[in-house]
Amino acid sequence: MTQPDAHTELPLKITAYSAVTCLGRDRAAHVEALKSGRSGLAVCEYPDVPFDCYVGQVTGIENDPFPSQHSAFDNRANRLAMAGLTSDDFAEAVATKIARYGAQRVGLVIGTSTSGVERLEAAYRSRQEDDPLPAEYSLRHHNDYQAVAAFLQDYLRIEGPSYTVSTACSSSAKAIVDAGQLIQAGICDAVLAGGVDSLCLISLCGFEALQLVSRKPCRPCDVNRDGLSIGEGAAFVLLERDASEGVRLSGAGESSDGFNMSTPPEDGAGAQRAMRTALKHARLRPEDIGYVNLHGTATPINDAVECAVVADTLGTEVPVSSLKGAVGHTLGAAGAVEAVLCLIALEEGIVPGNTGLETLDPRIACAVSSAPQKRKYHHSLSNAFGFGGNNCSLVLSLT
Amino acid sequence: MMLSGFIDGAVVYGPGIGSWEAFCALIDGAQWTSTADWQPEPQCLPSRQAKRLSPAIRLALAAAEQIAPLLPPDAGWVFASSTGEGETLNVILKALCTPEMLVQPLRFQNAVHNAAAGQWSIAAGLTGPMTCIAGFDQTVGCGFLKAAMQVKLEARPVGLVLYDVPMPVPLDEKRPLDLPFAAALAISPSASSGTSLPFDCVSSYGPVTPPASEIGDVLCRTRNPVARCVPLLELLATGSVGTVTLGLHGGAALDVRIGRP
Repeated sequence: MTQPDAHTELPLKITAYSAVTCLGRDRAAHVEALKSGRSGLAVCEYPDVPFDCYVGQVTGIENDPFPSQHSAFDNRANRLAMAGLTSDDFAEAVATKIARYGAQRVGLVIGTSTSGVERLEAAYRSRQEDDPLPAEYSLRHHNDYQAVAAFLQDYLRIEGPSYTVSTACSSSAKAIVDAGQLIQAGICDAVLAGGVDSLCLISLCGFEALQLVSRKPCRPCDVNRDGLSIGEGAAFVLLERDASEGVRLSGAGESSDGFNMSTPPEDGAGAQRAMRTALKHARLRPEDIGYVNLHGTATPINDAVECAVVADTLGTEVPVSSLKGAVGHTLGAAGAVEAVLCLIALEEGIVPGNTGLETLDPRIACAVSSAPQKRKYHHSLSNAFGFGGNNCSLVLSLT
Repeated sequence: MMLSGFIDGAVVYGPGIGSWEAFCALIDGAQWTSTADWQPEPQCLPSRQAKRLSPAIRLALAAAEQIAPLLPPDAGWVFASSTGEGETLNVILKALCTPEMLVQPLRFQNAVHNAAAGQWSIAAGLTGPMTCIAGFDQTVGCGFLKAAMQVKLEARPVGLVLYDVPMPVPLDEKRPLDLPFAAALAISPSASSGTSLPFDCVSSYGPVTPPASEIGDVLCRTRNPVARCVPLLELLATGSVGTVTLGLHGGAALDVRIGRP
């Protein structure tokens, strides 16, 4: 079964984007970081984490102003979302589209894995056992999956459809797919899609329980890689039906492994299906792809499986790298954060480096881009794979 | 473009509602009896294995496996749930209150919103796309919209599984819903049998359709957001032609028009 070619018949232009990560809060900071290959990972100072690690934390977010009219939504995830709106005037770009198309024709799809759960963690940890939760705690505004989308909808006064995609670490890549579908289906004229996930104890202690958290800054594709570094962030894209020049979403592929909740099958068949579908959807040949952003979590199994699949699907010539040594694994936000970094790289003619890499794993047959290179190319493929064997590949293009 | 397709079949599953036929009888006025200790019992896993999974996962699996015979192996699946894995979340949060803060690895990997979809893909060996949607009280409208888009734009049959279970103490006070309840639909781009019902849907802003039956009222009063699909199920059960308006956020809605087979 194949997906139709509607994306190519109906180009989905990305008319605005923004990203907030440990590397910085605007496009200029991310351009500089992609050019220099620097890492934003730092020793974890997130409160109460009972082990040592490095994280990609957006520092100072807790001290930012938060709009008082929407204070019910004030949590770390929505603070990241707010930073994403103020970054590079993204909120103004949305307002322009609302003025042009009408609020009812603008939609919203957000990917998140934990929403504002950090407020609920604090509520649990500050109560006596078996006490009720504090009266002022609102599930709907914080840990509910829709809490980020609900805040954005209220704040931006979007009146079109709004929902949340939550498929662990592929969440926001799939949110971008759904945003495209809302436009293709004629439900919306413009859709804000993106991902938001904050640092929280559940994610940190959960990945630690799976023995997947590195004690050092993570080293994707390295022979000595020993796990991931968790990050946080917010990234948004604004999609529209538009054939003019610029960056666009040109294809997407989704699949399931049907194998294991947290480990891919050795042959990476699910990941391969996602990549092949995305390529076919974009009507591109393997050699058209100029850069592959690996999901590249820096766990021993994942990177090996993914690189073998990339080599088999796209050949061993195309430069590949993982951005997680720079921004960490931003979990549900990863698909959107890394898609935006790919868009910046396309526009700036940068093949991103693989920050953190010291010695390439000799079993990896791909052309891993160890340091940033200047090179113009027109298409990149970005992978996001999540728990439950949930895979999504996006093809992003520059005309 | 008009979102359109065919509804090939429906499943309803919850306490005192073991099958689609049972639901149709309830619509016709049969007596509903719900037992408080009711547990979902999926057949796709050995019972010992199923018991290790959360009530939400077991409920979703039971609904998915009942609709699965109407769908091809490469169908897309949309799992829509407002609250997801409340029980697992509560267990993990309590563990984080202990000095050791030790989380059970299996608990953590089953805490994600797509735990039910992942477990279903593993149990059934499915390799197609799986999307997991949440939309608070409008989860039904959001899930149906996504499924309808996928059917139309990917020319692919889709299984839509709607499920929510009551939250455990102390979360239940903050999100009260009184009854575990699931529904599933098999939706396809072309009619697969003589009983397939054609539908199309358009965005609207009209008031949401209330339930027409007594059992529909009862289910909606449980505050389980999945019950918001009951007006659509009522239309399917009676085989009538008509329009049901499902709610979305921001004042938006979706008019689903069901035609004759």
